[in-house]
Amino acid sequence: MYERYHIHVVPTLGRHHPVPKFVVRRADNCINCGKCERACVYGAHKRDTNDLRKMAEPDSTLCKNCFRCVVECPQRALSIKVNDEFRNLGKGVWTPVRVSTMWNEAENAKIPVLGAGYRGNFSGPGYDAMWTDMSEIVRPTRDGIHGREFISTSVDIGRKPPLLRFDENGSLLTQMGPIVDLPVPFLLDVSRISVTDAALKGMAGAAKELGTLMVLPLDSVSKLNGEAPAELLVPLISSVQDLERVPPQARMVEISHSPEWKNVLKELKEKRPGLLVSIRVQPSKELMAAVDDMAREADVLHVLFAESGMDHDGQYARDTMRLLHRHLVKVGLRDGVTVISSGGLAAAEMVPKSIICGSDAVTLETALLVALGCHVCEKCEDCPSDLRSAPEEFVKCRVTNLCSAWRDQMLEMLGAMGIREVRRLRGETGRAIFQEDAHRDAFSDITGGGNVE
Amino acid sequence: MSEQYDCVPEASWIPSEKLKFINRYVVERKDTCISCGLCGSLCPYGVHQRIEGHAKVLPPYSQRCIGPTCASNDFHCVSHCPTNSLSVRESETFSALGDVRWTTDMILATWHMAETGEMLPLDHPGNTGRAGGGFDHLHFKLGDVPEKVDYAEFSTAIDLNRRKSGERRRIAIPVYGGGMSYGSVSLHTMVARAKAAKAWGTYTCTGEGGYPAELVPFKDNVITQIATGLFGVKEETIMRAPIVEFKYAQGAKPGLGGHLLGDKNTPLVAKMREAVPNTSLFSPFPFHSVYSVEDHKKHLDWISSINPQALLSVKVSTPNDVEMVAIGSYYAGAHIVHLDGGYGGTGAAPEIAKKNIAMPIEYAIPKVHKFLTNEGVREDVTLIASGGMRTALDVAKAIALGADGVVIGTAEMVALGCVRCGNCESGRGCPRGIATTDPVLYLQMDTNWGAQRLTNLFSAWRKQWCHLLASFGMKDITELRGRTDLLRYDAGEEVRA
Repeated sequence: MYERYHIHVVPTLGRHHPVPKFVVRRADNCINCGKCERACVYGAHKRDTNDLRKMAEPDSTLCKNCFRCVVECPQRALSIKVNDEFRNLGKGVWTPVRVSTMWNEAENAKIPVLGAGYRGNFSGPGYDAMWTDMSEIVRPTRDGIHGREFISTSVDIGRKPPLLRFDENGSLLTQMGPIVDLPVPFLLDVSRISVTDAALKGMAGAAKELGTLMVLPLDSVSKLNGEAPAELLVPLISSVQDLERVPPQARMVEISHSPEWKNVLKELKEKRPGLLVSIRVQPSKELMAAVDDMAREADVLHVLFAESGMDHDGQYARDTMRLLHRHLVKVGLRDGVTVISSGGLAAAEMVPKSIICGSDAVTLETALLVALGCHVCEKCEDCPSDLRSAPEEFVKCRVTNLCSAWRDQMLEMLGAMGIREVRRLRGETGRAIFQEDAHRDAFSDITGGGNVE
Repeated sequence: MSEQYDCVPEASWIPSEKLKFINRYVVERKDTCISCGLCGSLCPYGVHQRIEGHAKVLPPYSQRCIGPTCASNDFHCVSHCPTNSLSVRESETFSALGDVRWTTDMILATWHMAETGEMLPLDHPGNTGRAGGGFDHLHFKLGDVPEKVDYAEFSTAIDLNRRKSGERRRIAIPVYGGGMSYGSVSLHTMVARAKAAKAWGTYTCTGEGGYPAELVPFKDNVITQIATGLFGVKEETIMRAPIVEFKYAQGAKPGLGGHLLGDKNTPLVAKMREAVPNTSLFSPFPFHSVYSVEDHKKHLDWISSINPQALLSVKVSTPNDVEMVAIGSYYAGAHIVHLDGGYGGTGAAPEIAKKNIAMPIEYAIPKVHKFLTNEGVREDVTLIASGGMRTALDVAKAIALGADGVVIGTAEMVALGCVRCGNCESGRGCPRGIATTDPVLYLQMDTNWGAQRLTNLFSAWRKQWCHLLASFGMKDITELRGRTDLLRYDAGEEVRA
């Protein structure tokens, strides 16, 4: 029987102390009248349970910044300020709001919903300078998420033939290469982040729950002790000899781009014809010149951006991926190869946006650590969330929750666009609004309005 | 109705006592104060006061303090205090209010206008936000702004029906209220908005959540909305309405549909919506009865046959093909094409939708305006924009970009005391009693208080528009439409947050 793809989520509280956005403070001139307790609908102000004559310290984690207590305090003893620790969360595209949003997503697996409209910047760098389209109403087969039609998020990883050939009896003549069908367009990648053995096992568990692949260093494969299904593992290998240590059930391996990539690829394909080989490439101008050969022969191109969301030349993935995609389309190679992009994906909307810019799928990296409570503070030796002690089950649930929330948000965006499968989204720049284009169209007749910057 | 557009109701002072102590500066007096009273005789703003016959000076009234720049004045209290007991510092609480779109200055300025009805100077920082684009980077090339103008000389009225036939509907100010349903906001909020709309001869909108009986006395100023959930849509409500608005999509959640969470679906709300209490109510996207412009026409004809006097408004979001949607609506018979951009308000929406789906209204207005002009139908359509217009200058900028008028929502909520905390959707709803159906919470607001606050806000806004028009040598706000030559785009040197 046909089964709908479903991600099983378990709400999982964070292990570290939460970082509230606001800090409520009670000054010494409080007279313990208790008006704040009555004013606060969220219960941030309570009497001290040990001494009911006194008010307890306000619980800032419950404060939602409505100012009612501040206004009603007869002594003006209360003040609210933005928490410095919150303000200092994250780095670059990993903004404080994004980091705390991801914590919430990893905790409850829900789509973040808030009232009172948008409160952020008009646009921003990289993927923030684009908007996805929506479909107003007039297309029968395109239906919102509350509608009748199922929206597919599955993607195929591997080479696809340009056409199928059949003999006169209708039997397939075309030799089909290996293809891995993923139910979600994201893979987990722990090869560029440092994780403990427990976290590794937890993430493998999440990959199993999601039914997606996990890229990992070859040495880490043995650390899993066969606990994770080997067909979900994508070991990163450096030579043909490494193939002996790749479990026979593995369906894909990754190699780094090197001058000898052609030989390595050939030998790998000779030894294990059913294995997908992905080449990891650092996007740059030189790569663009050499990409055609790789696109012709490799199964997958895995494009690695930095966690800043940029390539080596300081260009954002949004633009690099569009150039790469357009180039491959132009030379007639795009449909053959699978392109995966990674790095700097700091919010749910970046997954579909990356696909619009030309990826087939993405890998999640730092996002996996943020799901565990990482502050993206880059002080790993003195981790404020003590990620090193995170148990396996916790890691599994948190990562699964985050991925589930991100998938649900992708469904929202696909539904709004009236697109019923994520494969149709790839390279669909016509269903997106890029800031420089919209800006030019709208403001070019205004003094100073020709270009965005 | 015909003379109503000339009405300019009186603004009157209406206190903001629920907003006190949210100050920019905090003035502190240490115990070393000897109560000499010098500060009280120095400060012209009334920060320091001693009641006649009292030994001690009252605690400082910080809200009135103009801050550290006062140091250059010879009445500066801090430097004159003989015991150095006074200090002025920035308030921490102040920084916790607002965000880049609705800056603290903007919220305080809106409160001030709602309190007094006095206009904000056109160069005040509260007129623009810091969101780093769109309206916040568009500025008027202001000429000499006269200090005093005769407000009676200016017209800020617009026509909502620009077709050759049908009822004339003219509003005195180029704004009317956006749809906010019973359930997403309190009944008191709805009535306050309706009272203010009546005073100003403009409109407010029921949203999609039924037409409460309390609004019937204001029926000439209340638009009713038809959205996909058809909550509260009845023949009698359609027949009552001067304007009927079809909501195809909402800017803050385009293509997603509405969603009233179960907590806010109290028995009263459920009764109004003819639904089961405490269940989540979906208003799904899209209209399954409309898959083409012809289907859309059928919808509009259906309303026209029930209420031939009603103007038809079509509220759509801002996709790539927004100009096609606009012209389709026009040919289907709509009088008003209402574009709703993504950065506007909402009772609840997925955060991902607000920023990322559909283009900002700043881009959509010129796109549609130019297209309709080229098609030769611009003068027959009323183009209304909404979604992120916060101040009078935002409204004017939208008009200069090509809209006829603007629908506002969040600015009204702020005038009613919203602090933009963004928790309209959760639990009992708004802790300040604006966007809630909790009977204890919503009693915090009195409808007359609210109505006067809104009246004052519009009064202040109208004054701002008059000064703006005067600086351009114009007398009528319709002259401003499409005048992009009066705007300049300036990214400034601000740092992105």
